[in-house]
Amino acid sequence: MNTRLAINGDLPAWAVFVACALAVASLAVLFFYELRRRERGGIVIVLTGTLAVAALLAAIARPIRIAARESVIGAKVVVLADMSRSMALPQRGSRLRSAVRDAALAELAKKAGETRLLVFGFGEGAAFALETKPGAASKRGPLAGRSDLTSALRALATSAEERPQAIVVVSDGRFDDPGEEATASQLQALGRTLDVPIHTVATTSDSPADASVRRVSAAGAAVAHVPLPLRVEVGCAGGLACETLTVTARELREDGPPALLATGLAHLKDGKGVVDLSVTLDRAGARILEVAIAAPSGDALPDNDRRLMTFNVARERVRVLHVAGRPTSDVRALRQWLKSNASVDVVAFFILRTQTDTPNARQEDLSLIPFPVDELFTEHLPSFDAVVLQDFDAQPYGLERHLPQLARYVRAGGGLIMVGGQNSFVAGGYANTPLAEVLPVSLDGSRRAVSAEIVPFTPTWTEEGRAAPLLAKLHDIVDEELPSMPGTNVLGDVQPGGLALWTHPTRTTKSGAPMPVLAIGDQGDGRSIALGIDGAWQLEFSQLGARTSGRGYGAMWDGLLGWLMRDPRFESGQLELVSPCVAGIPASLRVRWPAAKTTKAESASRPERIRVELRRLDKPDVAPVRVEVDVPAHPNGTTNAVDVALPPLEAGGYTARLQAVLGPTTRRDFACESGGDEWADSRPDRERLRALAAATGGTFHDAADDLSIALPKPVVVTAERHVVPVAPAWMWTLLAALMLSLHWFARRRSGLA
Amino acid sequence: MNRLADSLTRRKRLVGFAPAPAPSCGPPPALTRPKARRFAELCAMTAVFAGVALFASLALPRSARAFGDVGAFDPRVLIVGDVPGAARPSAAARWSWELIQRTSAPGRLTPTHVRADDPAVVDEPFLWLSGVNALASFTPKEISGLRTFFSLGGLLLVDDAGVSDDGTPSAFGRSAREQIARVLPETSPITLGPEHVIYKTFYLLRRAEGRVAGQKTLDAIVRSGQVQVLFSSHDLGGALARNSTTAVGSGGFSGSGAWENPVTPGGELQRERAIRLAVNIAMYTLSSNYKDDQVHAPFLMRRRALPSAP
Repeated sequence: MNTRLAINGDLPAWAVFVACALAVASLAVLFFYELRRRERGGIVIVLTGTLAVAALLAAIARPIRIAARESVIGAKVVVLADMSRSMALPQRGSRLRSAVRDAALAELAKKAGETRLLVFGFGEGAAFALETKPGAASKRGPLAGRSDLTSALRALATSAEERPQAIVVVSDGRFDDPGEEATASQLQALGRTLDVPIHTVATTSDSPADASVRRVSAAGAAVAHVPLPLRVEVGCAGGLACETLTVTARELREDGPPALLATGLAHLKDGKGVVDLSVTLDRAGARILEVAIAAPSGDALPDNDRRLMTFNVARERVRVLHVAGRPTSDVRALRQWLKSNASVDVVAFFILRTQTDTPNARQEDLSLIPFPVDELFTEHLPSFDAVVLQDFDAQPYGLERHLPQLARYVRAGGGLIMVGGQNSFVAGGYANTPLAEVLPVSLDGSRRAVSAEIVPFTPTWTEEGRAAPLLAKLHDIVDEELPSMPGTNVLGDVQPGGLALWTHPTRTTKSGAPMPVLAIGDQGDGRSIALGIDGAWQLEFSQLGARTSGRGYGAMWDGLLGWLMRDPRFESGQLELVSPCVAGIPASLRVRWPAAKTTKAESASRPERIRVELRRLDKPDVAPVRVEVDVPAHPNGTTNAVDVALPPLEAGGYTARLQAVLGPTTRRDFACESGGDEWADSRPDRERLRALAAATGGTFHDAADDLSIALPKPVVVTAERHVVPVAPAWMWTLLAALMLSLHWFARRRSGLA
Repeated sequence: MNRLADSLTRRKRLVGFAPAPAPSCGPPPALTRPKARRFAELCAMTAVFAGVALFASLALPRSARAFGDVGAFDPRVLIVGDVPGAARPSAAARWSWELIQRTSAPGRLTPTHVRADDPAVVDEPFLWLSGVNALASFTPKEISGLRTFFSLGGLLLVDDAGVSDDGTPSAFGRSAREQIARVLPETSPITLGPEHVIYKTFYLLRRAEGRVAGQKTLDAIVRSGQVQVLFSSHDLGGALARNSTTAVGSGGFSGSGAWENPVTPGGELQRERAIRLAVNIAMYTLSSNYKDDQVHAPFLMRRRALPSAP
């Protein structure tokens, strides 16, 4: 408990000031005039006068005694430590930037004195408290993929906690926000969010010898078949000599080596260069693009020589090549559906005349055009999203020689639908060809193979067919009922990875399984469908069609083409990364499956176990990683999603394939990078730190220097306080009156008035 | 699409789907004797190769058989009211026969009949209504059946078999339009000019013709871009009708017999053009507006410029 005297608290400051001034003036007059008159008792007058003035002053001030319990509290200063991945970059001397940062934090803590130093980390979003005890640095978890100082400062400003009186930023200066182009006024505005000085401590002074892809920016969204302009910024720093850098853009594909999409030469000036590339991605969905440079020797950071970008490629319209061997009601129905679908751009070729037909007319009187088989299946094939071969015989029209190309097209991400008829499947000469390998069913290529079964039948739904989202709409419309078919192509067993959705009620395959009538399957990056009947049009024209207003046919093709094009509505599940994948750090995939309409249906559609298989896109010889998880009854509080933890992955492109429920598999391509944006530009940015400090009234420091920062003074806080008057007010007044009387008496004795 | 069309137009080295002429094995009259011997040897070798090819084709697993007639063009005769059947009973089978002979499209050689009030009216996408006399008013069930048929996208050909030689519609033609107007009251027939796809689905035609030349165009009710009712005032069936045109066995067909009706005023050339129109209508039924695709445009425009021949 501290005790001290003070003047009464009811006096305003100006009154005290005026009283003191009057007292001083009175004393000055007293000393100046009376001390010169010694002969008339000047000493006594001065002495009593002084006492009188003091007593008057005491009567005005009425002193009090304060007994208080007080403590001195240091000013709150927040240290924002850069926790982005750029801190994992090495310094010269093999020390990491994070080690320099931690040393700087320790130094600041040591020199803080009475200042309350709170250490926060910043990266993505709001700042977060950091453990600063010895050895805590290793427990700080993964580094952030961004260094967003602005968000961290704004979060502090809006916090309900006590406001800091100063900020200290410890970083390499390579912020995402404020960016490199931020002006002084923008930095000042940033400082005004807290209105306190921001001191900065630079962890790094030297750039590593590094050539890198600094930024890849795309002009607009990626659309299949539409050229996408890419601007690639490259750089060289740290004394690395590079006048030009070759930049390549490649698409990582599951079916083979990366496909080179574009290449260019960047000319560097002042360590920076830009090259504009144009790439065309033919397949929709998540596609992995690798943008890389050929770095010169001496490059200390090879990890940032390539960037792996995930592009979600959209489609303006689905381009479908529809080839039919002859016009039939089935061909008519499919064509009308394709043409009526605004999202489909169809290119059709129908064989209207065979070698045995006699049209009885000159060629000029016919509207027939040559079937450009060579051009279609070589030059133009990649421009199509899907190819429909309907009742088409490969041999007479020269398609046989293009079947290897067509199979490669499917494995590279294209879609294939073979629709039945007298010229399809085995009868069309497709058995024992490369195309047969990408069909979801096997074809009998033996001499005694039977190509068609001409006994009328009604296809049967399989359990997989009932559960598959791609046929859910059709099932809703027709339930279990399907029209009777006049016959079917004879198909073999479903290939590994395929699924039969409809089967023949009586006919079986060689293995004894019911013969598939409608089957689907994944083939590399692409997908294929086998529909072994030519009577699907009866979903439109039949008694069943009349009862259902013909909606079943469109619903079936909506699902088939949608699934082929990986429309999320028709996938049995969906995969998404919970957060960007970073090499060496466990990631999570969120698996969703379609929400059921009823509780009963939900329990039926909810998978009990989920299997995810990861394959490297850029290293197909690497063994796949398989992860299996049980699905709890109510995962994550929702009913149709569960997170699957992945092991730490190396940097590269991956495809995750999900087998969740009875339905077909679904996949998602994604990329894992070592450094990502944070390593793209390895140069420190001391100037930005210096400018930030200058704009906000702070000071700039180097971590290697003395970190004696001028921090705010501590404040005293009173916890308990007792105020007691030294004497009652009347006593001070009486004392003043007595002193004045004594002084008056002395003056009268000396002859003064 | 335009790029593809341009490319097709530009390039000459295309494998045409139209077949090369079959080699003839009769010695041409202009050949000399040694040349004739060599020609005979060539024919013999050709025959050997043909035999081997035939054997190979039999040995390969290509024993495809059509899945019946389902999906083939069926010129189904529509029966309404008390009309007993088609005005030209033999025309439907002849129509299918001509289609099969001339094109790759399959056709039913034994076409079917269906009543408008029969639920089976929706089993196929094509109906053919022809007659001479005025039609009685459609019953509500007939109207309902036809409306269902049209709602599914079906095509009805109304062929006036009683049209006069100068093209004046008969009582059937007039009454059929009135009754169809009751079925589809919200739409009216329009004229299909020679630019319509129906004149180029297989043959390039300049006008419509049947047993009579009549007006140059067809009328149609078009809904959602698709022809749903086609009105012919040319007695198309009259030009197609041929006696003894009957099915023989399973799949076989006899095309013998004589034409039942004279064609005026163009004679047999006009009949050929009428058959071509029928083939085009069948092709339109089976391939819809396929020939309207952009890829065909440059070819068809070039051929349109050539003089026509039957």
